[in-house]
Amino acid sequence: MTTTIPASTAAPTAAAPAEPAHDRRSERLLVWLFLVPTVGGLALFTLLPIAASFVLAFFRWDIITSPEWAGLHNFGDIASDVTVRRAFLNTIGFVIVAVALQLGIALWLAILVQSRLPSWLQSVFRSAFFFPLVLSAASVSLVMAYLFNADFGLVNSILNAVGIPDVQWLSTGSGAVAVVIFVYVWQSFGFSLLLFLGGLASIPTEVYEAAELDGAKGWSRFTKITLPLISPTLLVATVMAVIAALQIFDQPWVLTRGGPGDSTRTAVMMIYQSGFQELQFGRASAIGLVLTALILAATAAQFRLSRRYVFYQ
Amino acid sequence: MADMSRRGFLLAVGAGVAGTVAAWPRLTAADVPGRGEDALRVAIMGTAQDAEGRKTIVAEFERRFPGIKVRVQPIQAADWSQFFAKILTMVAAGTPPDVCYVATEGVQLFADRLGEPLDRFVTRDKAVMQEYFSDVHPSLVEAAMYEGSLFQTPIDFNAANVYYNAAAYRRAGLERPADDWSTDDFLAAARKVQQADRSIRPFFWTNRLWGGIVPWLYINDTSFLTESKAPGGRWMWDTFYADDPSSAQRGGGYRWLHSNAQDPRVLESFELLRQMVADGLASSPAQGGGNELVGLFSGGRIAMTPAGGFWAQGLHDGGMKPTDFDVAYFPRWRSQRHQYGAAGNMILKTSKRKDEAWEWVKFNLSQEAMQLALPKPTTTPARRSMVNAAFYAETGPQHWQVFYDTLDRFPTSGPIPAPPQQAAVETALIKNVTAAVTGDPKKALASLDRDLTTALKT
Repeated sequence: MTTTIPASTAAPTAAAPAEPAHDRRSERLLVWLFLVPTVGGLALFTLLPIAASFVLAFFRWDIITSPEWAGLHNFGDIASDVTVRRAFLNTIGFVIVAVALQLGIALWLAILVQSRLPSWLQSVFRSAFFFPLVLSAASVSLVMAYLFNADFGLVNSILNAVGIPDVQWLSTGSGAVAVVIFVYVWQSFGFSLLLFLGGLASIPTEVYEAAELDGAKGWSRFTKITLPLISPTLLVATVMAVIAALQIFDQPWVLTRGGPGDSTRTAVMMIYQSGFQELQFGRASAIGLVLTALILAATAAQFRLSRRYVFYQ
Repeated sequence: MADMSRRGFLLAVGAGVAGTVAAWPRLTAADVPGRGEDALRVAIMGTAQDAEGRKTIVAEFERRFPGIKVRVQPIQAADWSQFFAKILTMVAAGTPPDVCYVATEGVQLFADRLGEPLDRFVTRDKAVMQEYFSDVHPSLVEAAMYEGSLFQTPIDFNAANVYYNAAAYRRAGLERPADDWSTDDFLAAARKVQQADRSIRPFFWTNRLWGGIVPWLYINDTSFLTESKAPGGRWMWDTFYADDPSSAQRGGGYRWLHSNAQDPRVLESFELLRQMVADGLASSPAQGGGNELVGLFSGGRIAMTPAGGFWAQGLHDGGMKPTDFDVAYFPRWRSQRHQYGAAGNMILKTSKRKDEAWEWVKFNLSQEAMQLALPKPTTTPARRSMVNAAFYAETGPQHWQVFYDTLDRFPTSGPIPAPPQQAAVETALIKNVTAAVTGDPKKALASLDRDLTTALKT
């Protein structure tokens, strides 16, 4: 469903009067003037650290002593480290499950909110679903740790009340993974939901009316109309959700510190541990570079797939 | 793009320049506390409130030493490795502190890279230091040494004793445990508590270096790391502890060089704890600093837990009367060796004010300064003379003598095993303890062994 704009309509209907050269220069100057703070900040706080991290990945450095050239040693070291491998596998597994749940729940709730609720109630639910996102992930995780405490937590008390015995939420691998995913999804789906609500609102009602006349209802209406028309939003939401999920740290750090064993250890956790706990900043940078490559690859793959599945109106 | 008049443009540029000038101290980090200030910088792990709490000591010190101004810098950190990383960042930024208040967990970490040996200061001020050491147990001093040198001067400590809820004990028909109670006695008491009230968890423990699995390893005469003593240190023992019968066995500080996770006794200790968890006698291994513990214990939901003198004030603040709880020694198994951790000041080798820093360190060891620093039992003072009935009169426990007597009765008691690779060691221990206690202990200990071997190589 791609509509292209004819080249003729994009062209100006009449030739614009030529601007004097000094006006163009001062306009360019003004543009740069406004860009300087953002570009400067980006260069100083994002690009420079990325470049420094790239260089540091080839050194051994503990902050106190001078960096020592290490060549590819840090990369070899992380490749042979089973904990790092496990952390990356955990992260990838987490991304697949958490992003699928996050987007699925967000889309389902967005459709429910948009189609079943009056507009004043929509804004109430929108705010309610978005609210967890503005909370600190560490605080949320701390509270969740109390709720899921196997001995004194509210969750087990409720389960006990209905005859279900205690569940070792945070001290077994599967339980800990489930809690981390739950906490992450609960806190994150609000953002995707807002994106989806925006996408759904942009679908013209005439399309649904026409579909209804043609007899499309329920599931077929969702798969044949809603999904294709919000596919650009879905792409943006997926890309953002995958990038964010690949960087998960706060929730497993506060809830489980990566345990039991390494069952909830993630890639960013390994960066933190190597750098700030073990003072191996070169190794931490190497892990960071591998994670960056993974994020770039995942994003590129999504954009490539989008050529086939995303429809622009 | 909207047009902008020349005046508007000049105003915008002017505002930008004025803003930059106003923000210059922040942009150049000139307003970082302590930077450029002619003061002795003392870093503590804590909040601005904690720094405020030291105001009286600082005021007294500055009155005694008018030429030395002290600035206490609170560093917020979740654990000692984070604190150390922040200190390192300060070193890299050119604003290192002169003195750091460090716990046993961080002693070797700091000593190995940043600490200044205090030997020459201690021997120089022998008379003053003799008074201090005569009041401080040698075990605490030995834990503050690294490779033959003293790096820290202990101000407070906490041994892992067992606190028990008096009401829970009464309901179960239990008396105060004997000083030499065994692990069998402990298990019998836990079962009685469980039978008397199913809603109570008989024993609560936190998965961390202090008070977690380690006390259970120590009483089984083992540890997850091999333990030996560094050579040297005779200068300390022969000078300040010549009359102490244990001084002949003391060395130049502890060494934890290899993994000992595959020792059968380690497995035995893990099995005991695993069984206690499986039987519902002990809580599932919880992560963290045990902040929720005071509420659970004072609310009567926990009967016993490992804790030190630091808990007396916490329980009092939590609404418990001195008779509502009490403290006993950790039970005996193959031995009754206790675990302890201490804290005190260290001077950084990057300091350009080492003599002034030593004056501060020395002043903090005086009886007067310690009384200012520890007005309430929020920890156990390293000075034996301060651990007295008056100190615990308001808070309890009744058997407060246990706190210091732990060191006297069990002179082989050992510090928290914290080599210079403490952070990696702690991570390895914590992650595998949970897996061992809730899963297959043998598999988890093999994993612990592998992780520790890797950690200790760095």
